[in-house]
Amino acid sequence: MRVLPLPRARGPVRWAAVVLGVVALSTALPDALAAGFDAQSLVLPTDPSALPAVQVLDLHYGDVLFEFYRDDPFDALIKLNAYRAQGHLTAHAEDAELLLGGLYLSLGQHLEAGRIFQQVLDQPRVPQSVRDRARFYLAKVWYQRGYHERAESIFAAMGSSLPPEMDAERRALLAQALLHQGKLEPAIALLSSWSAPSQWRGYAQFNLGVALVRAQRLEEGVTQLEAVGTLPTAGQETAALRDKANLALGYALLQTGQPARAQLALERVRLEGPLSTKALLGEGWALAALGQHEQALVPWLELQGRSLLDAAVQESYLAVPMAYAKLGADAQAVEQYEAALHAFAAERVRLDESIAALRKGQLMHTIVDHEGRDLEGWLWQIRKLPEVPESRYLVHLLASHEFQEALKNYRALLVMERNLAAWQTSLGAFDDLVAQRQRRFAEWLPAALAKLDGIQVDGLRQRQTVMRAALTRAEAERDGAALATASEHAVWEKLERMEATFTARPDDHDLLEARDKYRLLQGVMAWRLSSTMKARAAGISRDLNKTRGALEDTNSAWAHVAEAREQMPARLVDYRRRLDALQPRVAAARQQLLAMKAQQEQFLATLAVAELQLEQGRLATYEVQARFALAAIYDRATPRKQP
Amino acid sequence: MKPIPVLARMRSLLVAVSAVVFLAGTAVAAAQTEAPAPAPAAVAVLPAPPAFQALDTQVQDLKQEVIDLNRDLFNLEEELLFPANTQVAVFLSLDVSAYFALDSVQLRVDDKQVANYLYTEREIEALNRGGVQRLFLGNLKVGQHEIVAFFTGKGPHDRDYRRGATLTFPKGVGAKYIELRVSDRQRQLQPEFVIREWE
Repeated sequence: MRVLPLPRARGPVRWAAVVLGVVALSTALPDALAAGFDAQSLVLPTDPSALPAVQVLDLHYGDVLFEFYRDDPFDALIKLNAYRAQGHLTAHAEDAELLLGGLYLSLGQHLEAGRIFQQVLDQPRVPQSVRDRARFYLAKVWYQRGYHERAESIFAAMGSSLPPEMDAERRALLAQALLHQGKLEPAIALLSSWSAPSQWRGYAQFNLGVALVRAQRLEEGVTQLEAVGTLPTAGQETAALRDKANLALGYALLQTGQPARAQLALERVRLEGPLSTKALLGEGWALAALGQHEQALVPWLELQGRSLLDAAVQESYLAVPMAYAKLGADAQAVEQYEAALHAFAAERVRLDESIAALRKGQLMHTIVDHEGRDLEGWLWQIRKLPEVPESRYLVHLLASHEFQEALKNYRALLVMERNLAAWQTSLGAFDDLVAQRQRRFAEWLPAALAKLDGIQVDGLRQRQTVMRAALTRAEAERDGAALATASEHAVWEKLERMEATFTARPDDHDLLEARDKYRLLQGVMAWRLSSTMKARAAGISRDLNKTRGALEDTNSAWAHVAEAREQMPARLVDYRRRLDALQPRVAAARQQLLAMKAQQEQFLATLAVAELQLEQGRLATYEVQARFALAAIYDRATPRKQP
Repeated sequence: MKPIPVLARMRSLLVAVSAVVFLAGTAVAAAQTEAPAPAPAAVAVLPAPPAFQALDTQVQDLKQEVIDLNRDLFNLEEELLFPANTQVAVFLSLDVSAYFALDSVQLRVDDKQVANYLYTEREIEALNRGGVQRLFLGNLKVGQHEIVAFFTGKGPHDRDYRRGATLTFPKGVGAKYIELRVSDRQRQLQPEFVIREWE
């Protein structure tokens, strides 16, 4: 049998392709979604160092890759584990280990992935560049899952072999991890010393500005933020960055009592951008702080035409009457405060209803129903919240890693529970199958034994050997008669009997003619046997070979049956043992999955309720403030009694 | 709509996070006015990360148990339904393809149709990247067998193309692995369809 070896690709090529391929797939979606973009417009990262496809040396490894490349990391992982246990992946042992780590990552099993990467990548023969990239992706996952300290330690300890683009992202993420932990000075040191590539420069400067302001180094921070806020606009990305910098700058200056500078920064924020409501609100406060209450009404009134779900809009409901009051227009102020109270009260009722719905656990069911079949994909991410009242308040929450990751866990538990439910059905069928095989084997065995006893393979083989020896002797002695057919034998024997008669009557002249005929016949017979001997010998030899082949097949079948007879009982016992062990494991795991799913649901509801309660609290505060202001106006308007 | 480059998305994310962190520490300067002081802009107060992490660790442990279970179940199913002594697996690989775009494959073993597979774009991409599809898994007796595969797709010059390949092979006592391979025959500027045995 032939084995056709395939050319082996260069080691680093395969390693890198595997690592990059897997981790890129596993990390791209969460990033993009958390950034608030529509998942349908996603593209996977086009890594400049991504390398050509892997050349497979083992069909089973190729099968794992096929599952993985068609976006089914779960099946890929199961097959990889199973094939490895079956001893199929020896030609790709190292690749398989890395792929395994990557697959665990893509299924959110970062603890197991971390363990595998640590084990594999610390081996000295793994190229430094591959090790660094794998660690980079691992640290990115830690970061996304909120393990900022772990992410920081990996990012900080990484070698310098990353491609420039990836290294820039590493520094940016490291700075973020530090900021999340409140490590402002190390973040400032990192960002200050970083000569970022042009496409990252604005972002690095923005983060530096934020860090400096938070570290009470206001003027330094303002300088950085002002630089970003006045960048020449070159497309949506820069415009969005400018808005963020100007907003941050404006509020920082407002907080430190510099309303004039704050107003300038806030005016630079685009009116149609996502940060425009906060900017309009801030600009109003800046003008109010400068005593320009009439001018402050312009941005605040602009806000009142926008959705009340926005915190800045809610705040404008208080700011507008405050400005009227400052301008002495008490009647309008009262009217506006009352409108605000009415709007806040209506919003609080909706919030109460939404919190009640969340506490009943309806949100997760609605999301699952809403997603329908899309839920099945293993790289599933929620794209849109279902259209229920509580969804309106959860947009911000949806962008958070905690909520997304918790949601992914919930969904993974749900899909795994379905997966085990399907296996449980199969296990029932397997159980029947094993029982049926046990019965059939018990019935088959006596008949098979009887048949086996009737087949004397050794005797047949012996007869074949004897015949082969006779052929060899006849060929050696050129004994044509030995290869004669049965009819020829009969003729030959007749001739021999005739010869005996002639020998017994040597002087009988009546037999002279018969004797001549006998000699002629004997000669013809001898010539025929002699002249056809080679052909006959070849034919017989061919038949004997066929017989030998048939005997070998018989022997093999016999051995097969004998083996089955010996091994089948043990195999059936083994199947039974494994089935008996698996059935309770599956049942227990299903119970645990259901319990954990409930816990996860509870956790998600807690997150969502906390978000809504925050909103509720803010509205309550606004209501108190509105009532207080209203009372103050009424109090002012009431004529005081003369003592 | 033109997709936004991932780099830009990543940077936007970083800035978004920064902005939230920043605003969390920035009170509105309302206190400087005589108006009632409104609350600062909203920042979600989430349960502390350790709560998520503790639950996440438990979820991961349970998922690991399910993954291990699936491995054991997969192995049991294969051994039970396709024992090694009768098992035959047919795989399909692509090493192309300038001259052939695969649409479907029909597989016959001993004149019986055992597989008829229509490929999606994603599956073709998976095959082009080095994936190998296990097209058929079945059982065959010891002895000689014939496998015939028909490949349908678009050939050179975007013409409909249907080609067959055959192999007669001996099935012994052990498992048998067969590969259907589509590759380019550069000299003839034609695709090549090969069936071969693996040990």
